[in-house]
Amino acid sequence: MKIAYSLVTRRTFLNTLFGGWLVAFCGGSLYALLKFAFPTLGKEPDFVVLKTGDFVNIPPNSVKPFAWGGKLGLFFKKENGSTYALKGVCTHMECNITYKPEDKKFYCACHKGWFDDNGKNIEGPPPKPLEFFDITTDGEKLIVAKKGIKVELPKA
Amino acid sequence: MLRKILFACAFMLINTVTLWAQQETIEVFPSAPYDRHIIFQCLAFFWMAIIGLVVIVRMKLKEIERIQKMGIDRENKDIPLLD
Amino acid sequence: MSCQRLKDWLDERYDFEEIASIAKKKLVPAHKYEIWYYTGGIAMFLFILQFITGMVLSFYYIPYFEHANKSIIEIVTKLNMGWFFRSLHHWGAQLAITVLFIHAFSTLLLKSYRKPRELLWISGFILLAISIFFGLSGYFLLWDERAFAAVRVATGGAGNLPVIGGFIKAFLRGGIDVTGDTLIRFYAFHVSILPLLTLFLIGIHVLLVQYHGMSVPLSQEKKALKGTPFFPNLFYKDIIIWLLVLGVVVSLATLLPPEIGKKADPLAPAPENIKPEWYFLFLFQTLKLFPGEIMGLNGEMIAIILISCGILFFFLIPFFDRKSNAGEKSTVFTWISVIYLLYFVIMTVIGYLT
Repeated sequence: MKIAYSLVTRRTFLNTLFGGWLVAFCGGSLYALLKFAFPTLGKEPDFVVLKTGDFVNIPPNSVKPFAWGGKLGLFFKKENGSTYALKGVCTHMECNITYKPEDKKFYCACHKGWFDDNGKNIEGPPPKPLEFFDITTDGEKLIVAKKGIKVELPKA
Repeated sequence: MLRKILFACAFMLINTVTLWAQQETIEVFPSAPYDRHIIFQCLAFFWMAIIGLVVIVRMKLKEIERIQKMGIDRENKDIPLLD
Repeated sequence: MSCQRLKDWLDERYDFEEIASIAKKKLVPAHKYEIWYYTGGIAMFLFILQFITGMVLSFYYIPYFEHANKSIIEIVTKLNMGWFFRSLHHWGAQLAITVLFIHAFSTLLLKSYRKPRELLWISGFILLAISIFFGLSGYFLLWDERAFAAVRVATGGAGNLPVIGGFIKAFLRGGIDVTGDTLIRFYAFHVSILPLLTLFLIGIHVLLVQYHGMSVPLSQEKKALKGTPFFPNLFYKDIIIWLLVLGVVVSLATLLPPEIGKKADPLAPAPENIKPEWYFLFLFQTLKLFPGEIMGLNGEMIAIILISCGILFFFLIPFFDRKSNAGEKSTVFTWISVIYLLYFVIMTVIGYLT
């Protein structure tokens, strides 16, 4: 069905086409620019590899820190000799925690939060327990991984 | 053109020399074919976008020139206001 | 669309009518040489591109000599599209300087510098010098062997100027030799000092162009039509040209990404066949022409003095060209300009091929 008049003026048509295409073009270019400008936001590693010798022989009821990406990780040996690894970051406002061997508890100095030796939040503002990791040993290598992550080591 | 040939030769020379010297060349351009194809495809889309924009702007220009030739692009000076 | 409401909001507060009527009056002459009018706009567009890519690159670059080279390698290998933006910044720089030289030589040959536009020439020349320094400082930030040697030669050459040479060399280098301090200094130039100077000078340059209008070459003055309105006709033509230039830069950046060399070692000897960036080649080649000693005086110093005189004459050409200022045809200066252009091109090509 042909109509006698145009539904849209030439001017509107051209301006909309121009505007729309320009927005798409600039949007695409801006997206590329922003993808570069914003870093891969605070990605934590899926696992880290440490030297077994450095950690396995620490005295019982003590912790040894290690690097978990940019954050603090703690290798923890309980009184009974069982070993664990956990993220040494308070679940309240992400301050670094410390281990108090006398109390057998983890303590966060920022707002006086306490966690027991299984990481459960027992006192103060922290809302969640501490995050624990899975440990596997492969000879000289001590592999600390996020719970549930399948670790694939790179060749060599 | 000369520059491209020179660059290609320099690149190949650097590659062979470094292979021999067992040093790493730094990858300034992704080497995986999958990544390369994506990049070239993006370049093609980009050019299509640019040419699309150029065509639209030329359409606008033609329209403006048509209007200017007709002399209707300016408002009359003593035009009465509608309110 | 909400565009109308925005316009009304602004209209109720600001009087755009006056600016709009002035803008509508801007006319651009049409004649045989009008294509050269576009060179300035292209140069400005490329500079804006450089500013944008430079700003995002500066998020990741580390200006400390120990980490500089590595930070660039990280940008190129690890970040999303890092290689692309670095490549874009590199090719944008090459094209910007090329277009700037085209712009400079075209205004020289068309004698746009004549009265009343002398200040345009002066500000333009300073902008050209700043851009070359932009190129040198930017290239140095790579901190690879080639860049290191290039800066040694460039600052050493500047040091050969009589009287002031020593001061300039020490100022640029931040000390006696090229060190990590030089890197920090050049970073400050490249990222802060030069951009601010450039913005200021470009502002003056563009304002003066609006004030004087576009210059018409003497031979075309009678024939030129008063011409097309800038808004909207030439504005859209500018946009088309800028889009095409953008396409070219992006293609070059994608297809020919630049290499990164090994980290510079200040104690290592200069690598073989070291050559500066192409826009320095004509100076380099000229220096090679002079023998080590002329009549008992240091050949290099004589070369630098002669080159400086040549550049100074180029800088002050509007004041030497009396005939153009009077509005007459000035063949002598046309020939001088042609000689400058030919010398620059030939020396650059020779420098490139040897």
